[in-house]
Amino acid sequence: MKKGEAVDKRPTGLVFFPAFDWAISPTHPEREERLLYTRDQLFEEGLMDLPQIREYQPRLAGVEDIARVHFCVPDVESQATEAHRIAAGGALTIADALMNGEIKNGFALVRPPGHHAMRVAHGNRGFCNINNEPIMVEYLRQKYGIKRVAIIDTDVHHGDGTQDIYWHDPDVLFISFHQDGRTLYPGSGFTHELGGPLALGTTLNVPLPPGTTDEGILYLLDQLVLPVIKEFKPELVINSAGQDNHYSDPLANMNFSARGYARLNQKLAPDIAVLEGGYSVETALPYVNMGIIMAMAGLDYSNLYEPDYRGEEFTESRGRLRRLREVVEELRPIFLNREALVARAREKYGSVARRERRIYYDTDGIDEQQEERLYLCPDCPGLLTIDSRARHRGGQKNHIYAVSIPLQGCERCRQRGLELYRENVGRAGAPWDFLYLQDRVADNYRREPGGRLA
Amino acid sequence: MLAGIEPGLVKRVGLSTTRVTNLLATGGGEPAAAIIIPGPGLNYRKLALPPNSFLVGGTVDFRGRVREALNQDQLEEAAHSIAAREIKKVAVVGKFSHRNAALERQARELLLKSSPQFDIVLGSAVAGRLNFRRRLTTAYYTAVTGSSWRYFAGEIQAAFKRRGIEAPLNILKADGGTMPVETSLDRPCETVFSGPAASAMGAYGLTMDQLTSVAVDIGGTTTDLALILEGEPLQASRGALIGGQYSHIKSLAVRTIPLGGDSTVRWQGGQLTIGPDREGPAACLGGTAATPTDAFNLLNGEKLGSSRRVLESLARPSGLTAEGLAQKVIKQVVDRLEEEIQDMFRSWEQEPAYKVWEVIHKRKVKPERIVGIGAAANIFIPALSQRFHCQALVHRYSAVANALGAAIARPTLSVTLHADTERGRYFLDREGLQGKVDSQLQLAQAKQIARDHLTEMAARQGFKEYAGSYEFGLEEQFNMIRGWSTVGKLFDVTVQISPGVIKEFQGVKL
Ligand SMILES: [Zn+2]
Ligand SMILES: [Zn+2]
Repeated sequence: MKKGEAVDKRPTGLVFFPAFDWAISPTHPEREERLLYTRDQLFEEGLMDLPQIREYQPRLAGVEDIARVHFCVPDVESQATEAHRIAAGGALTIADALMNGEIKNGFALVRPPGHHAMRVAHGNRGFCNINNEPIMVEYLRQKYGIKRVAIIDTDVHHGDGTQDIYWHDPDVLFISFHQDGRTLYPGSGFTHELGGPLALGTTLNVPLPPGTTDEGILYLLDQLVLPVIKEFKPELVINSAGQDNHYSDPLANMNFSARGYARLNQKLAPDIAVLEGGYSVETALPYVNMGIIMAMAGLDYSNLYEPDYRGEEFTESRGRLRRLREVVEELRPIFLNREALVARAREKYGSVARRERRIYYDTDGIDEQQEERLYLCPDCPGLLTIDSRARHRGGQKNHIYAVSIPLQGCERCRQRGLELYRENVGRAGAPWDFLYLQDRVADNYRREPGGRLA
Repeated sequence: MLAGIEPGLVKRVGLSTTRVTNLLATGGGEPAAAIIIPGPGLNYRKLALPPNSFLVGGTVDFRGRVREALNQDQLEEAAHSIAAREIKKVAVVGKFSHRNAALERQARELLLKSSPQFDIVLGSAVAGRLNFRRRLTTAYYTAVTGSSWRYFAGEIQAAFKRRGIEAPLNILKADGGTMPVETSLDRPCETVFSGPAASAMGAYGLTMDQLTSVAVDIGGTTTDLALILEGEPLQASRGALIGGQYSHIKSLAVRTIPLGGDSTVRWQGGQLTIGPDREGPAACLGGTAATPTDAFNLLNGEKLGSSRRVLESLARPSGLTAEGLAQKVIKQVVDRLEEEIQDMFRSWEQEPAYKVWEVIHKRKVKPERIVGIGAAANIFIPALSQRFHCQALVHRYSAVANALGAAIARPTLSVTLHADTERGRYFLDREGLQGKVDSQLQLAQAKQIARDHLTEMAARQGFKEYAGSYEFGLEEQFNMIRGWSTVGKLFDVTVQISPGVIKEFQGVKL
């Protein structure tokens, strides 16, 4: 803290929702036991008794909170169970407490996680159905008029869902650092993934070499993440706080420690952190969660360590540091020159930018084929339409058409979006099971059966 | 109180005493030291600790595994310092010691070897649930108050004996239940805040139905509030506050407000204030200051004596009449009580929930009755109950309801069992008890073990007639999965004899 800066005496808000009665399946990593030892550690430590911490009860996110972000197929209710709605609602609870000025920052320590859930949600991918951070961010923008937000995804897996949702939004900075996609699920998150044509440079991805330690991640934070945030000037910083970078995580191969996490959160100083992954239930989670809370609450974490931590085994290699330096040197200029990149993209694409993708849902075994059209606009981030067909493991098929009018959408794009939606809803013989309208300007969300059913 | 009653007819003595509460409030008791074995986590060097605290290395984790050995050098150094300060009472408290007391026990053994004069309290023996800081507070203040309480309890027993009363002596606890005086010797801190518990149990005794009541005990300078939710006295989610810290002492959810019948009414900076002090009795009862009692008295025909003069002189500068001021005073008191009661219900509703089921099934409960307790009860209760559109109960026994509460409260006892089938052990939250379980343990068996211990403890403490009145609270089980296979189960089970009334008590006539 700089001299003369007032100490914020307000507490850190905490929603702890371990969902002790919810699992994907009995032996799945996303099971009842996941936050059990975290509970033990937090409660034994008496963290909730400290004046620096204020615990809140989570609420349920409403259907409209979810529809504001996702096109849930066939509907919100079938993608978001009560557990999902409470996890997302926990983030909303923290958001309200922050905006009401009750807390200086807050941590939604909730499960199930969400950062692999994309804008179109046909099922569960990477243990996620709906995406808690965007649901919270869009709620903050809608209710409190927040405009610019930075989401830093610190989970070991690429936050491909969050990336997808903010791909075309130049007012949300999304930075994900994660284990190199060539060695880990979901296999994306490379440096060339920079956002849609009108939002280039506000999506940044850093693939980390397997084995990266505290030193490497903190280097990246100091050299790339913090300077970029400073330049971007967001109103809020969100940590999408996965804990599977930990050296003991069974699903990944990194060497981050609990104290490293604490240090990261102290440096990043997020307004809100939301738990994502992390599956080393005994060796990592109790200590990492402690570390995040302690750092956010301004508590001394110098006595926090995993009982089996041997720091000397985790020194950063010269090779990994060199690799990280290269990434920093590649991405910083891209971010700084993002306006020029956007201008070039405008020339290249003209009036419509198309993107075709296949998306695989590992948990539910769904194969999705997507075509996205962005109608480029000189005045706003542009109207987006999505045609998506999904084939489920059991052979079931869903085909949807969705129109998304962005929050910053200009009236011309908005009218065009409403028109497109109306036209296609009424179109006889159209191929879609459902049509969706996401009018962020009016905060209006609709879903209707398509011509195929009529 | 017992005048005119044959001592031999007294079958049971229930005692609510402020002895320990006062000791703690005045910083009395014996000097004590704390040996703290915190392991990794918060930096205890930076936190407010009891006087004479010493940090010693050593780690037990949440599963009860010893991860780092006890640092014997640090322990020895601490022992020297404590002995040099001529302190005899020592609390030894380790993080997760309730899952494995090995380090605490080893420390005790080593301490007694070097300093046999020490009288040692182990954290695992007095506080066996999660929360290390509360365990520390509980163990430390048990050490501080132990001897004084022992002495006091002996005196009381002797006094009853001298009067020919041989009936068992039961001490009221903060949770609204009693314990035999013999049990209290090891657990003196459980007697704190039994005053508000007595009035809550008095209200319970006066009602004994399934309604949701608020017990409002209006005293001279304070008012105690307690909730009876659908017929059950509500327990606080955190333990009693001792020395400014939460403890593991179970306590009813009571709230004390610095506002009573004798609180002084005055103008301060243009605002009418009531309390928190008292200058003496109400003016109508011979005092000099205007009080809420005077306000009520004036509006009800001055049956108690004259209140008009003080209220008039206080009202004059504001342009109010004496009646106008009196109404303002009553309204202000009732406003404050209403606000506090609403807030108590809100706090209860906002208790964190950790299961989907709990969040989905959150209840909203409204007060259905306000029960007035204490001599001044009839002053505010009717007006207060109107605010909640609910019944008011001011019973003819209201004035002595807290004595009634102490006399009729039955023993309470709660046992929480934590079983870990991978480690093959279970641990109880009382007396540091533990035992073996086999790897096939099921929830029903875990509950059985907990219940058997409860029955045994009740019998040992001399109240086996209440052992059958148990109910299960917490029931949790978790599968431990490593890789993709189950390696064990964890169980947490609570069985308890909840606050209630003794078998002999049949209720009172309304
Ligand atoms: Zn992850
Ligand atoms: Zn536009």
